[in-house]
Amino acid sequence: MREQVPIELAAHLNNAGITQAGDTGGGRFNVWRNSLPGEELPLGRPVDIGGVRFAFPAAGPGRPDNVRCEGQLVTVPPGRYDWCCLLAAGERRVEDEVALHFADGSVDFETVRVSDFWAASAVFGEDEAVATSAMHYPRHVQPGVTAHIWYQRVPVTRRAELRRLRLPHNVALHVFAATLCPSRDEVNAA
Amino acid sequence: MTCVRGVAQWYRDPVSCLQSTLATLLLEAGHDPVEVLGLSWEFRYHPGDVRPEEYYWPCRRPGDLAGSLLPLHEVTSRWRAIDPADPLGEWRDALAAGRLPVVAVDNYHLPFRPAYRDVHAAHLLVVYDVDGTAGTVAVSDAMPPSFAGPLPAEVLLRSCGAAGVDDEQDVFFSGPVTSGGRWLDVRLPAAIPALDPGRLGLALDVNAAGFAALSGDVWTGAEGLRRYCARMGTAATPELLAEAYTFGWGMQAQAALHGELLRTLGARWDRPALAEAGRRVEQVAHRWTAVRVTAAHGRADPAACAGPLRDHLGSLRRAYQEAHAALGRAAADLR
Repeated sequence: MREQVPIELAAHLNNAGITQAGDTGGGRFNVWRNSLPGEELPLGRPVDIGGVRFAFPAAGPGRPDNVRCEGQLVTVPPGRYDWCCLLAAGERRVEDEVALHFADGSVDFETVRVSDFWAASAVFGEDEAVATSAMHYPRHVQPGVTAHIWYQRVPVTRRAELRRLRLPHNVALHVFAATLCPSRDEVNAA
Repeated sequence: MTCVRGVAQWYRDPVSCLQSTLATLLLEAGHDPVEVLGLSWEFRYHPGDVRPEEYYWPCRRPGDLAGSLLPLHEVTSRWRAIDPADPLGEWRDALAAGRLPVVAVDNYHLPFRPAYRDVHAAHLLVVYDVDGTAGTVAVSDAMPPSFAGPLPAEVLLRSCGAAGVDDEQDVFFSGPVTSGGRWLDVRLPAAIPALDPGRLGLALDVNAAGFAALSGDVWTGAEGLRRYCARMGTAATPELLAEAYTFGWGMQAQAALHGELLRTLGARWDRPALAEAGRRVEQVAHRWTAVRVTAAHGRADPAACAGPLRDHLGSLRRAYQEAHAALGRAAADLR
């Protein structure tokens, strides 16, 4: 059976959304320069969320750890998939579109919905991947304000080979990791 | 919703202290905050009026913040100056009369706010007790990290009295036009009848009429939205971009609550068209995210964000159109 396929995002990382408690000044997740506490995250390790395996990014001072969406074109391992699974968070609630590019030249736009990262609940039916006990501010650590990363899915409805995806031109959306889940057709064929 | 020492708190992630403080007043009076805060929905922009306050709202009734936010209810409010001779006296009198004062503060002076001794920012709190003997004032703040409890009176008064301070860390909610030393005296009606399909239908008709009406000096409705988007899409300055974050918060919060209300009632009453309309209104709220966040991050380089911002403004206008089309179907279904 074909396994889940992580999407390589390293070349697209462009935002520092994670900091350590002793060095919160470099955080840039949102306009307030809040950031997620690295101490509470599985940095640089694989994580299993809802049966999907993600490669959680590493983080460090001055090092980007997520993709702030600015229309990046991401090449994926070619294949037939049912879901593009994301570990993502919004600078407030986000609804936008991802463009899916297929080997036969077709393109589908699919909606991506991600809830707010700042002291929020899942309003789009996501699973909670991460909920921290504190929020990092530029000059202090704030207990009692939670930070969230959500596990969300984008459907791949076309039965064709997926080659690339275009992230939204929406800087409110941050993607930390992405994994493609193979289609049932492909699983059965294998 | 949680109850802390007798005062109720309520919060949703799209709202600001404007909605969360009024929600506490509504809960204390026995009302559902979403039913009241989510009933009116409008687009309203007052050019030149946007002030760097978390609780900024374009007031249709000058000086009446709560009444302007809730035009479909018999709510009124007025700002009152804190009396330096007896700063706690008016709050004590209002509490004795059954009214919870809403006080304007600077977060910089409040130990429970993340901005404490760091960032100056204009904010609202609810006062729910004055203890002259102990020299404390009990305040409620439902915005994370929520707080309810006593503060030394001198701490609260220092926060209330702080004149507007420019703070480069917060260009959205700090500035010299933010006046200190005032509190909002809110008067709620004795009764607010529960919503039924008939009452909701009338409210939807009022909202729709407002959106269809012509716009004047104050930019309202579809025409006002068109003018706002045209201005932001073609001539956005750093100041206008920063202002969009502040102004857009009110528009976003109201849309989110109106959408939640309609979606909830649509499910409760088994009115699918109403639920769908609510979801369309929520999509408007979520389109405001892209506009606000793109503008806020782009204010240092307006040219660089101009393209994405124009796209988001276009999506915002389409979302309003789709929402109002859905609202028309929902209103027809309610008749």
